[in-house]
Order: sequence, then C-alpha cells, then structure tokens
Amino acid sequence: MTAGRASHHPSTALVLGMVLSLLGALALPIPTTAKSADAALQLDTNTPIKHLVTVMQSNHSFDSLFGVYPGANGIPKGVCMEIDPENPDPATCVKPFATTNNGADFDHSHDTFLNQYNDGQNDGFLNAFRQRGEDGQLAMGHYTESDIPFSYNAAEEYVLFDHFFTSASAGSVANRMFWVTGTAGVTDYQDYAIPEKGWGDLPTIFDALEASGVSWKFYIENYDPARTFRDRGVGGSGTYAQVNWAPVLNFDRFLDDPALADNIVDLDQYFTDLENNELPAVSYVVTIGSSGHPPSSLLASERMLKQMVNALMMSDAWDTSVFQWAYDDWGGWYDHVPPPQVDDFGYGFRTPAQLISPYAKKGYIDSETHDFTSILKFIEDNWSLPPLSTRDANAISIATGLDFEQSPRPPALLSMSRETKALVIPKRSGIHLSYSIAIVSAGVVIAGSFLTDRLRKERRR
Amino acid sequence: MLDSPLNPSADRSLRAPTADPVQVAEPVETTHIRGMSVASTVLALSLGVGAVLRFWNINALGYNSDEAVYTGQAAALAGDPALSQFFPIFRAHPMVFQYLLSLVYSVAGVHDIIGRSLVALIGLATIFLVYRVGAELYGQWTGVIAATLMAVMPYHVVVTRQVLLDGPLTFCTTLTLLLLVRYANTGRALYLMGVGAALGLTFLTKETGFVLATAAFAFLALCPEIPVRIKPLILAGVCMMVPIFMFPVSIALAGRSDTARSYLVWQLLRRSNHTWDFFPTVVPPAIGWLVLAAAITGLFVLRSRRTWRETLLLSWIIIPTIVFQIWPVKGFQYLLPVAPAIAILAARTLTQWRPQWTHRFRTGLPWLNMAAIIVVTCSLLLPSWHDASDQQATSRMAGAGGIPGVRETGDWIQVNIPQDAVFVTIGPSMANLIQFYGHRKAYGLSVSTNPLHRNPSYEPLTNPDASLRYGDVQYMVWDSFTASRTEFFTNTFNKYKDKYHAKEIFSYSIPVNGPDGTKTNEPIIIIYEVTP
Repeated sequence: MTAGRASHHPSTALVLGMVLSLLGALALPIPTTAKSADAALQLDTNTPIKHLVTVMQSNHSFDSLFGVYPGANGIPKGVCMEIDPENPDPATCVKPFATTNNGADFDHSHDTFLNQYNDGQNDGFLNAFRQRGEDGQLAMGHYTESDIPFSYNAAEEYVLFDHFFTSASAGSVANRMFWVTGTAGVTDYQDYAIPEKGWGDLPTIFDALEASGVSWKFYIENYDPARTFRDRGVGGSGTYAQVNWAPVLNFDRFLDDPALADNIVDLDQYFTDLENNELPAVSYVVTIGSSGHPPSSLLASERMLKQMVNALMMSDAWDTSVFQWAYDDWGGWYDHVPPPQVDDFGYGFRTPAQLISPYAKKGYIDSETHDFTSILKFIEDNWSLPPLSTRDANAISIATGLDFEQSPRPPALLSMSRETKALVIPKRSGIHLSYSIAIVSAGVVIAGSFLTDRLRKERRR
Repeated sequence: MLDSPLNPSADRSLRAPTADPVQVAEPVETTHIRGMSVASTVLALSLGVGAVLRFWNINALGYNSDEAVYTGQAAALAGDPALSQFFPIFRAHPMVFQYLLSLVYSVAGVHDIIGRSLVALIGLATIFLVYRVGAELYGQWTGVIAATLMAVMPYHVVVTRQVLLDGPLTFCTTLTLLLLVRYANTGRALYLMGVGAALGLTFLTKETGFVLATAAFAFLALCPEIPVRIKPLILAGVCMMVPIFMFPVSIALAGRSDTARSYLVWQLLRRSNHTWDFFPTVVPPAIGWLVLAAAITGLFVLRSRRTWRETLLLSWIIIPTIVFQIWPVKGFQYLLPVAPAIAILAARTLTQWRPQWTHRFRTGLPWLNMAAIIVVTCSLLLPSWHDASDQQATSRMAGAGGIPGVRETGDWIQVNIPQDAVFVTIGPSMANLIQFYGHRKAYGLSVSTNPLHRNPSYEPLTNPDASLRYGDVQYMVWDSFTASRTEFFTNTFNKYKDKYHAKEIFSYSIPVNGPDGTKTNEPIIIIYEVTP
C-alpha cells in the first residue's frame, strides 16, 4: 500500500490523499480464506438444521453429575438413603455427598435397576449393592461444577435436559440399541446380550438414512475394525468396549457391505470432516477412553466433549448444526426421580443430556420427558423419515430445546474453566476525580502564572 | 521597532548582551503580509506543514502494540464493553493522556483516528511552544525557525502520528521549559510554581519524563545568576506534588494498589532490550544530522555569547540522554523530549551565526543563513514526508509507526472466529493487537512464565503445548514483524504449528518489491486453526 503523492494545495491534497489511501487500503491487501462445499446443506430438511451430531458417553445418572446444578431437578433436600429399606435406621442412612471419586464401576444390570427402583419406591440404591455384598455408598456421591466445568459451562449457555431417561432399565448395550433402532433388539431382558450372530436384519436409523439418501457416519474413538461381534474379546466385562458401545459393529451388513462399512470411521475423521466441510447430515459418536465410564477420568470426558463442540463451532457447519450428548445408562448411581415405566424395557433412571446449537435456547433447562429415542424422533422429523418403532414414534423430540424463531447464535467457544468471567473493573469515578483534580490544579497554576504576568505588564502600561 | 529575523540584539529579553566578536546579520525592517508579520506568516506556514505531515494518511495503518495498549486503557476507562475485557485500566504508566482520550471516547466512541488525531494536535501545540521558548530565549526568528525545524523533524513527526505517550510528554516538558525560561527571564515566583505544576503533569503523562525535573534542578544549580528563594521553591514543590500525588490516589480510589508497584519493580529489574548503541544509532538520523550539526556548531562558534540559556538547553538535552542511555529499557521515542532544545540550539546557530569568511560578501549574509535554513529544513522535510506517506513497511522499529494488516485481520476475526476463541501469537505485541482489533483473548508465546522476566500486564501461556493439545487455544497467529525479531520463539511457534497440524485459514499479504524489481504479494500475517 502506498500513499498517493500530490502536489496540489495542501488541503486538497490532504483530503484527496486520505481518500486515495483509504481506497488503496481497501483494494491492495489480499486476505484469503479457505472454503469448500457442504453436501449436507443440499438436503431438504424440515428445520434449519442440516447436521446432527449425537454423542454417547457412559454411566452416570442425572443426580450424580447435575444433582446440584442450580435450577435443575436435582437432589432434593433431606434425602438420606437407607442401606436396608426394610429396616430404616437414621443413624446409618447415607446422605448425598460431593465427591471427586469416579472410581466405582457399580453393577448396573437390569436386576440392580429393579432392586434400586424397588417397585417405584426408588429407595434401594444402597440395598442393591448390600445384597451383592458390596459397599455402594459412593453411589450417593455427586459431582460439582469443578469436576465437570465444561458441562456446566455448556448448560449455562445452551440446553440441559433434566428429565431425560435412559430408554432401557439396563446397561449400555440395550440403551445404545434404543439409540440406533428404537428397540432393545430382543423381546425381554432374560440373558440379555448381543446375539452370537449379531442383530440380524433389525432396522436401524442408518438404514432409513441410507434409503433416503441422507449422509451419515458412525465415529468411534480409537476405532479398531477387527473388533466386532464376531471377535468381541473374552466376554463379559472383558468384551471390547467398542463392541458393546457401537451397535453398528454387531450387524453383518454394516461390516460386510463396503457402502455401509465405509461410514464407520475413527473419531479423528470427525475433525477432518469438519475441517474439510464434509460433516455428514447425521453423525453418531461413540467415545471409548473419553466416555466418562467409571473408573475412567471425567476430565478426559470433558476435554473430548469440549474439543468436539469447539471444533464444530470453529467450522462452517456450526450455523446449521445440533450437537447433543447423553450418558448411556445410570451406572448404578443414585437418581431421585423414579422413571416412568412405558413398556417392559423402561424407562431407566435419568441420565444427563445436553444440547448445543445456534438455535438452542440460552441457559435453558428442558424438563420434557425424553429418552434416547427422542434423538431418533428428531432425525425422523427433520429428514422426513418413518419411525423405527413405537418408542420413537411416541417420543418427544429433542427439538424442545431449540427455538427456530430466534436468530442463529454466533459460536462462542466453551472453556474448561469455571472462573468467573466478571471483570474486576476499577472504580472509574475515583480515577476521573483524581485526574480531574490533577489537571485542573496544574492548569490553574500554569495559566495563573502567565495571566498574572500579563496583567502586571498591562497595569504598568 | 525592528523585527529582525537574524539579529539577536533586537531581542529585549536578553538580560546580558555580551560583546560579540561574531558578526550577526543586518537588521531588516518588519515586513507584513496582509496584516501578519513575516515571522507570524512563516510560523503559520510551519504549523500548516507540520499539520500536513502529521495528519497525512494518519489512519492508513492499524495501531502498533503500544498504541493498542494506550487506546485500550482509554477505552476501558470510557467503559467500552468489548475492550474492557482485554485491557485493564491500570496497566503501565500514569495516564493523564489516556484519561483525556477517554473523555473524547465517552462522547464520540472508540475509533483509531481519534487517538492519533489527539496526539497530532498535541504535537502541533508543542511546535507552538517551541516557538515560544525559542522566542523567549533568542528572539522571535529563532523561535520561528526552531518551530519550523520541529514541525518537519522526522522524530517528532513520526512519534506524534501515533497514540504514544511521548508526544504528550514532550508537550508537557516543553511547557515546563517555557515556564522555566519565563522564570529565568522575570524572576517571578509564579513561574517557578508553574514549573512545578508542569513537572507534575509531565510525571502524570509518563513517569520517565520526571527526569526533566533533574534537568531543571541542575540548571538552577549551575546558574547562580538565576536567583532561587526557598519559599517559592517550596511552593513549586507543592505545585508539583499535587498532581503527582493524584497518581497513587487514583490507584487507591480504584482499588488497585499493587499494579503500579509491580510495573515499577519489573521496569527496574528487567533485562536490557537494546544494546548500548541503540540511541546513538537511531535518534540522530531521526532528529536530523544537519540539525545536530547546527546545534553543536553554534555551541562552539557562539561560545563567547554563552549565557544561562545554553546551560538550560544543554541540561535539558544531556541529563535525559545520559539517564536513558544508562536505563536498561530503551525505546525509539524515549528521547523525544530533548528534541525541542536541540531544535532551538540549531535555530540559534542558523539565525545568529555569521561566519567570518562571509564578510567579504556584502550582500550575502541573510541569504546565506536563509539558504542554510532551507537546506536544513528540506533535509528534515523529505524523510518526514517519506515516513508519512510510506505504507509499505513490512518491518518497523517499535514505536516508529503503525502495522499493516492488523486492523483488517482483526475485522476478519470478529466476523469469522467464534467468540471466546483463544489465540497464541509469537510475541505479546501481536497478542495485544489481536485483542484490540479482534476482541479475542490472545497470548504471546514469548511472554515468560517467570513474573520477574515479564511485563506484569502480560499474561503468560504457562503450558502452550497442553493448551494446544487440549483445545484451550484454538488459533495461532504468525506475523512477519515479530518473526523477524525473535528466531527462537518463531521456531517454537513453528514447532507447535507443525506438531498440531495447524491449518492456515487466513492470510494478509502486501505487495513487496523483489530483488529483480518485480512486485509480489508476501504474507505478513497468517492465522492458523488448530483442531484436535
């Protein structure tokens, strides 16, 4: 950029030069940015949302993570859980308490649910473990904002669901099946497990998306394509996590049909797709090491969520996206709300669920009754797909947390810090006062010295 | 009455005219142009040229780091919600200028051009004060020529085109000088009190200017012919202390008592930022070699006419120069307060010296002096004009001007980068500019985590590797200005950029002349995005 040189009268030259240089400043610099096409934008949708990212974390009840979140339906006052509900003893009952210990992987089978639920009494959270000969007192523990700072920040800015129930009153496999099929995959909980030959022809949301030409991907953290229902590890608790947590790995067609298998990728690809503007319309994400599953680190879970959310916000996809996450089961932790029983499979206890979107209501606590099929409901409503089951047909969509009347919110990256953003603003009035006094007092003396001298001279004349 | 351009004997303010073996110019009669004397006309013309040099393209480039800091302080003081997040009111230095700027911002809002225009106006006022001082000391024409030299002097032009404290500081020190001269000329105590008050304002503008108080005391101590009584001196001290006292009072009233102390400790303990030859290398060309030559020549050839005036001006030059030469922290603009005294000494030579060998040319003297004045003035005018009109600079010395591309980069960030995004830059200067123009948090990679080794107003990134790995910092900004100054931190920056596969998402380029004369666009600012 060079300033024009003119030999006109200074005033003309000044004005002309400033105008020319302004034009030059606008014309010469070359800012460059990278953009590319987003195929999902071309698809017809019934809302402004063109991308849904749904993430499944593991094993926390609502009260264990958000039991003390202000304004939410958290832990009531006066709770003291009896170790043996049949023999109440105020001296030994356990009150909810704050903990930072994520070290307990409580049993969270259907049987444990039944004992804890206790026919709707909801008073067997410790008794269930006592009957197993375990000390389950930690199940009454809960975390605070310092343990899950990102989740708190997200809740304050976007949407927290406080009546989001696990679809199945059982563990991860059944709930994640509801997440992708709207069913538990079986007719009852008897010997519930992934069938030896997989889930067969059971329809999934991905089949529906494929049939409608809607792009999708299933992202798995640390994905190993060799670990499927065909090679699931040693069994029981030794089963590879991705086999239990990624239902698509338990269908022959998703493993054998390259057109489908290519959609199952490592989580790294999520970030690459965002960078390349290639995020599919529907993204399912299964974290493994960052799932928050006790005893793994909640901090790792928070970091992973933050990275995924912030990467979305930093991408061009943000303006048309919904990012939602939940925990696949309650993990044996205390939750004070007895879940409604809508059928033989559930609901199970509440799980924390959150939603972020440019259309999300700000700091909104959504108390509609949801479960994992509410996510299917949203997909089906948005991309005009038929329901997979009666569960998702009757579910309330997670769209209750969205407001399409509002202007899309610009991205505001969320941090892991709970330090207050309130600025320590010095008292400006004190600064104004002191500097005014300084300037005026000095000015009076200086002006006075000149004026007095001048007056003296004039008097002499 | 004679109004001589080149005859000091016509100046009544001279207390003790001495027998002068040096020939001086012939007196000339007062000439008027449309009611104005020639001297007034030349002075007005000089102010006009000075205004053009200071306002021409004044806002073509974005701020440099210091400008961003001072403007940010003023904006925070004015209650600007965006900049208050990034620029604490108390950061460094007292802030009488920032306070005045905040008053303007309160009415007109925060705009780049307001701060720079205010400094430029103060610069023009300084030129007028130089005229007054020169006229008080050596007569009207010396004042006019000194003001002319000041108006076109690259040093003053460059600094008063920026929102730096040194322009207002030089105004205050020149005002102090004027009052001191008036006191010496009249002996009236009120002027001594005025000197005290002006020194107080000098301190409140920038505390380093207080070194001129030492110069004032040295002058009074070295010149017994200037009587100083105790009572006026005490009153002057009171007048000085009242404004100075308001600095700690303002901090205490605002509830931030530790800020100034931290900054002072850091200034005292910090490492030298330049080698010993910095000032001798950069200041003389900015003042003008011919100006310096004229000032020094005059001290020699007019030594027989030496009075307290030269002692005063030399005190005003030598003491700050020695102090800042010894002081570990050096900046291009720090010696600006000595420029008026040098300009006056140079003007004295140019208007009063008639070399012996010119006596043989009966008609030559005024014209020879005028020719010398024109040559010296043009030697300043050309580089000043070049500085004012050059918008291509890809690397500038700190304090020597604005930075291309920073404003445009900041505008792009505001539109395209999520709020609450966090940046890391190579150094704190670009971090300041990202915060000022982009309204996003930015850390300088080179800011030390050791509190003793960093400006207390800078916040270090304690673990940049982890911050990038965990997504606490999402964007990296490379800039050619910082990269050209610090190889180590540029390499560190590049190491992180490569390690985390940072992706370029924005660059700002300007045309640069290649070795073969062809122009190519070279990036000077690049923004990288870091995703996991």
